[in-house]
Amino acid sequence: MPECLKPMKRQHLKILVCVKQVPDIEAIAHSDDPGTWAKISESTGFRMNRYDEYAVEEAILLKEANPGTIVDILSVGPQRANQTIRRALGMGADNGIHIRTADDEYLSPFLIASWIAAAVRSRDYDLILAGVMSEDGMHGQVGPMTAEFLGIPCATSVVASRISRDCASFQVTREIEDGLKDLLLLHFPAVLSIQSSTNKPRYPALSKILRAKSLELEVIDFDTFDVRTSPERLTEVGFPQKTRSGEILQGSQGEKAAELLRILSRKIPIR
Amino acid sequence: MEHIVVIAEHLSGRIRPVTWELIAFARELKRLRNAPLSVLIPGEDISAPAEEISARTGCRVLAINTPGLQSYNSEAYKEILAAQLRETGATHVCIANSTQGLDFSPGLAIRLKGACITGVEKVTEKDGRLCFLRKIYNGKMTHTIVSDVGVTLLTVEPGVFKASEDEIADCHPVEYKNVSWHSDRVRNLGVEKSEAGIDSALNEADIIVAAGRGIGKEENLELIRKFASLFPRAAVAGSRPICDLGWLEYGRQVGITGATVTPKVYIACGISGATQHLTGMRGSGFIVAINTDPNTALFNDADLCIVEDLTTFIPAVIGEYKKEKQDE
Ligand SMILES: Cc1cc2nc3c(=O)[nH]c(=O)nc-3n(C[C@H](O)[C@H](O)[C@H](O)COP(=O)(O)OP(=O)(O)OC[C@H]3O[C@@H](n4cnc5c(N)ncnc54)[C@H](O)[C@@H]3O)c2cc1C
Ligand SMILES: Nc1ncnc2c1ncn2[C@@H]1O[C@H](COP(=O)(O)O)[C@@H](O)[C@H]1O
Repeated sequence: MPECLKPMKRQHLKILVCVKQVPDIEAIAHSDDPGTWAKISESTGFRMNRYDEYAVEEAILLKEANPGTIVDILSVGPQRANQTIRRALGMGADNGIHIRTADDEYLSPFLIASWIAAAVRSRDYDLILAGVMSEDGMHGQVGPMTAEFLGIPCATSVVASRISRDCASFQVTREIEDGLKDLLLLHFPAVLSIQSSTNKPRYPALSKILRAKSLELEVIDFDTFDVRTSPERLTEVGFPQKTRSGEILQGSQGEKAAELLRILSRKIPIR
Repeated sequence: MEHIVVIAEHLSGRIRPVTWELIAFARELKRLRNAPLSVLIPGEDISAPAEEISARTGCRVLAINTPGLQSYNSEAYKEILAAQLRETGATHVCIANSTQGLDFSPGLAIRLKGACITGVEKVTEKDGRLCFLRKIYNGKMTHTIVSDVGVTLLTVEPGVFKASEDEIADCHPVEYKNVSWHSDRVRNLGVEKSEAGIDSALNEADIIVAAGRGIGKEENLELIRKFASLFPRAAVAGSRPICDLGWLEYGRQVGITGATVTPKVYIACGISGATQHLTGMRGSGFIVAINTDPNTALFNDADLCIVEDLTTFIPAVIGEYKKEKQDE
């Protein structure tokens, strides 16, 4: 056994996956009042953060490779977030924990991580998985912050992880820039933040969806946690500035197509 | 007293280019706050990169020589930097918004009881306070964040701040310091090169036609290929999701974890324009974005915006092309 690994307490794993429900980003329009965090119109749909789908998939793969493994799902969010937890259960996870917040207020990664850590501190997870980043907040912080609150190691941008059959060694591959990969040996317990990769997140199976629908989620109210303020504050929400002219082609589809060819022919050769 | 600190990023003995951008960003903070600036570089055998930073920028550089720290290790970085930043009295810490910077910054911030603001693209001052702008919603909107505590870690988006080489301040000799470190919670096994390198076709092309998740299904790549074939020196590329799906090889991925390309023309088809993609193509000569969403992020960074469904628009372009050929 590699010296750096603490032996496992048991022969199977207990895994937690943190999933976030995010709005359909395409549905967000400029006409929305940019004054607040989540002025999202009624019609906007919600879905699971895509990186979290990869994290759930990674957990289910580990479960399949290490029978007896338990996969729990946790989400911090308003009432509707329970749909995202249920989707993860439909993918094959075992239990759901919902830290329920007030409706759609902005929550900093610091607050979310501190609540997750407080909720799971005594639950003895061997492995906590998060997505590398949320598509709405784009912080990339909740995973590594949770690790720090729990005092355990963390690896981010993970594209592959492997646990030996006896659960004694645990190797992860982080994707870094320039086409390079960083290989690490980690100690349990640990937090991994999962980057999208060639693992294809599975669709929930019908039988599992039915089970997920009837399963009772554990609900924790956010106001049971002591920490309420963050070291930083959101003061404004707006739209990015243009860095180029951004001319918008007008006309019918055919007119636009002809105009595009005309413009391109002035820039580069066309066959 | 405020003190601005830059954490230099290096890999295999070489300074990563984002470090020069961090220094440019830090100088902007310095101008706003009139505070001293220094650069920290932790690791083993770092005298060459430390001297290079000093010579090129004239900044104060502290080389934290750490035997055994041959490559980046999150546990080491958090421990060494927490101690050093406390000792320096750092108030603003500038770190790359890279896979490395994002790996240690959030945890380091918790250790320092500081704030962590990631993906910073702009800094302004309002009522005597620094305001940091970052993107949200895949780049569609922005956030402005202020820190309420004494130490703020800022991870700075690569490719946004221009490295300035003309600004050599008074030269300071590099300061050296030895620290020891030992932890066995995370052990490095080495860095590995991915199987596929970047496809050279991307660097040779005049025009790149790139497919994003908006193509919807793999068959629609054929449209992208047909579109590209109208031009003699063209290449097909994709956003990360297209490569993750296996529809294109990773060697064709454009972005921060793929290729950086600068063709004369870049046509993004069904690509939203997230910063990580933008970083790989914002240097292109002329950028065209085709998207059904009139508010998509990429329209802010394109020369020409076309609000159309690519599955009908690209055939229309090809039809127009054929019509013109016949008329010739
Ligand atoms: C650490 C890290 C590294 C990353 N590195 C990279 C990288 O190197 N390269 C990269 O690309 N991404 C990278 N990403 C991912 C990046 O953040 C985005 O998620 C990704 O670029 C989105 O790809 P997309 O634009 O194709 O998809 P989406 O964001 O889903 O956008 C699809 C777009 O298609 C439009 N659309 C839909 N249907 C149609 C239609 N019929 N016709 C026209 N338009 C349509 C939609 O309106 C939308 O704007 C990275 C992320 C992280 C966290
Ligand atoms: N509200 C939340 N509930 C559960 N997990 C979350 C939440 N917000 C973020 N996470 C997790 O942390 C990851 C990174 O989020 P962020 O730090 O916001 O980029 C996400 O991919 C999730 O796995």
